[in-house]
Amino acid sequence: MLRFGLVLKKAVQVIITLFAVITFNFLLFRVLPGDPIRLIARAGNLSPEAISRLRDLFGLDKPLVTQYFYYLRNLFTGEFGMSYTYRRPVIDILQERIANTVILLAAATVIVVLIGVAAGVIAAARRGSKTDQSLVVTSLVFWSLPTFWTGLILVILLGVYVKAFPVSGITTPGASFDSSFARLLDLGKHLVLPTITLAIVDMGQFMLITRSTLVDVLTEDYILTGKAKGLPFRRVLWGHAVPNALLPIITTTALYVSLVIGGAIQVETVFSWPGMGRLMYDAVLRRDYPILEASFLFLAATVILANFLSDIMYMVIDPRVKEA
Amino acid sequence: MFPFRRTLFFVLSFSLLLGACAPATTSPTAAPPAAPTIAPAQPTAAQPGAVAPTAPSQPVKEAILRVGWASEPDTMNPLTTYSTEAQEIIQLIYDKLLDYDSSFKTTPTLAKEFSYSPDGLSITFKLRDNVKWHDGQPFTADDVVFTYKLIKDNELGQYAQWLVDLTSATSPDAGTVVLTFAKPQAFNPGLVIPILPKHIWSSMSATDIETFANDQPVGTGPFRFVDWKKGTELTLERNSDFWGSQPAASKIIYILYGNEDVMAQALKGGDIDIITEVPPTIWDGLVDTPDVKAAALPSFSFHHIGFNVSAEPTSLGNPLLKDKVIRQALSYALDRNQLVQVALAGHGKPGDTIIPIGITDWHLAIPADQAMDAKPDKAKEILDAAGYTDTNGDGVRESKDGKPLQFRLIAIETTSVDVRAAQLFRDAAEKVGIKLDLQTLDENTLGNTVYNTDAPDWDIFVWGWDSGVMDPNYMLGVPLCSQIGGNNDVFYCNNEYDGLYDQQSTTLDVAARKQIVDQMQKMFYDDAAYLVMWFQDKLQAYRTDTWQGWKEIPGGLVYNLTRDNYLNITPAK
Repeated sequence: MLRFGLVLKKAVQVIITLFAVITFNFLLFRVLPGDPIRLIARAGNLSPEAISRLRDLFGLDKPLVTQYFYYLRNLFTGEFGMSYTYRRPVIDILQERIANTVILLAAATVIVVLIGVAAGVIAAARRGSKTDQSLVVTSLVFWSLPTFWTGLILVILLGVYVKAFPVSGITTPGASFDSSFARLLDLGKHLVLPTITLAIVDMGQFMLITRSTLVDVLTEDYILTGKAKGLPFRRVLWGHAVPNALLPIITTTALYVSLVIGGAIQVETVFSWPGMGRLMYDAVLRRDYPILEASFLFLAATVILANFLSDIMYMVIDPRVKEA
Repeated sequence: MFPFRRTLFFVLSFSLLLGACAPATTSPTAAPPAAPTIAPAQPTAAQPGAVAPTAPSQPVKEAILRVGWASEPDTMNPLTTYSTEAQEIIQLIYDKLLDYDSSFKTTPTLAKEFSYSPDGLSITFKLRDNVKWHDGQPFTADDVVFTYKLIKDNELGQYAQWLVDLTSATSPDAGTVVLTFAKPQAFNPGLVIPILPKHIWSSMSATDIETFANDQPVGTGPFRFVDWKKGTELTLERNSDFWGSQPAASKIIYILYGNEDVMAQALKGGDIDIITEVPPTIWDGLVDTPDVKAAALPSFSFHHIGFNVSAEPTSLGNPLLKDKVIRQALSYALDRNQLVQVALAGHGKPGDTIIPIGITDWHLAIPADQAMDAKPDKAKEILDAAGYTDTNGDGVRESKDGKPLQFRLIAIETTSVDVRAAQLFRDAAEKVGIKLDLQTLDENTLGNTVYNTDAPDWDIFVWGWDSGVMDPNYMLGVPLCSQIGGNNDVFYCNNEYDGLYDQQSTTLDVAARKQIVDQMQKMFYDDAAYLVMWFQDKLQAYRTDTWQGWKEIPGGLVYNLTRDNYLNITPAK
């Protein structure tokens, strides 16, 4: 099924790309104007001695090349250095944030892809009908909604007026739980609004891609053959047409994961979700290089891995890709 | 081929379905059985706290104060924090020797009394007995001496600035601490420095301390640290061993909101009892909310326009700004009331001198007839008199040697009030024949541009200051010559001003000191290196049906230099 050599080649490409990203991340933030210490020094009215001790502590007084090697060393020890702001190892700070972002992302991606693809299949199967038209229009309208605004509207409708779901955070403040099930349920409740927001705004693209691909596939001769053989339409659709329309959907999913990991920042802000978004925003303002470097590495790695996985999926699904 | 593909598709869709199960449990139908366990999520509006979740049949009332804030502390380490949020927590966990009460009078804290030596060089503190650290260890004079020496010897954190003149800290007996200074101290550092437990901090070097997260802070204060779920909430509980009277709040939970809009909604909905600070537009939306009181209080902050007046030849600022007349003309051109009305939506007072209006006892108000404010004709008059006229008819005045009065103006793009103010300032300057080119930057870049001591390459900026103490020293200390390379953001250097500064900071007699302080404020105002645009209000809001007894004092209900409100509020009804 899979050609091992090809996978290996892809894997090597991934590693090279990651290393380029690592180096680029280091340079990117140091090229930015600004200085991590200056605002700290203003806020604390620090003496020159105190400032130079901080610079020494963070290695900021060293030449760029030395700083780069410190950075690589911190990266390979898995500690990612120490945050200038929070004064603790970056990995401690990031772990939990990444977990939270991934939870949100996983929930949203699954919902978005399932609903989007299902709607796309329904629309394509009934091309030209009222159902098709209204699905297309709805998708386009939803797709055009700003994420931030949609989130706020949901907060006001479902959070403040109806009070159906919590509007902020990941757990109920001050709550203690009898069981891990109760804890999970609490988390689930907090997930509802952010997930719905992402679903509303993002499912349109999946619906439209699925629909247009499927519409193409449905005009193929073998579909006609299938129908002519007397197969039920349902069978023709799900057994023959949909599998052949999967490739673009996988590409879109890979792209979506890459996009939403950055784009979820808006949803995280609206719903006070303790993910990567706020942390990165503050880190940019404070020039907290170690946090920025580690976060951007994580983002880049996610994008690269999503693409790698979609390449592999291609090979599994489409035999022609193996020859390439 | 086909059977394989079909299987694959089913496997795919099945795994997607599996994944879908997790969020599926969050559907509303699944919610009711678990509702009791998360009862605190929807506290009824009339209850200040929540019912203990484990035993719904026999509720144990807890008086929980829920505070909403929109940004988090940086660290719990008092010697490495530079955030207001951390200060707020630290002042509840740690005690100082002295503190402010709600009218900003000095009140005994860890020291039950204090006295100055006749020469004013040393302060003797008599310490309170039977005070315990949160971990049960007894508090002693050694802890005080250790803390002061630690900060002084290692220049640690923001507190080091108050101990520059400290020469010794000793404890002649277990209940007494004597601080001796090289000069008399008009400002008593006992009011700001939190006392740290020696048994925890003494094993660390200065570098260790710089990287110490202090995850379990131990103090002597009225509240103990419980936990801090980063990115969500921070919890404190009442210290049952506290030396003073017990506060009514058994717990305080600080809840982080991603933005102020949602925070305001949470206050309206009764999820929180008080919000720390919101922008004017959101505050206006809270004014008519039932059971919510929106409070606009004088602050210890101002926003200002600063001019690069550096006398160094390395300065890349426009040298014309070294002429006081041009700066004064810009001051006359600026309508500060308009700035407050337009940029701040009315939530503040027009600015004048450098000590914020909230520091009531020390602020010097400039009478309207003497103020260099909103008098564009006067601006034109002094520019004409000094020979700055528009010789080539392009609407911009030129100096006698033909240099146009055209300057770069920078402001922080994310501080929308500053950007709006900068635009108004630009328009006002244009009317008197001075051209300003506005550029917006992020705060870090602006800070680095302004504080580039070696070669400051800028002309005019818009920024702001908060005074962290109820004393003139901090703000008056900014434009000192010695602060060039430190906090002095305009490179102002005036030896007479510096001399007065030393005089006031060592004058223990309040009335005599006030005279010098006024003189300095007037001097700096006349020199117009700063144009203080406004003193913004601190905009807060709280629920009136959960807690009562909030005192609306300068500086704010919370986020203030005093923790008095936390100690004195009581559950409503």
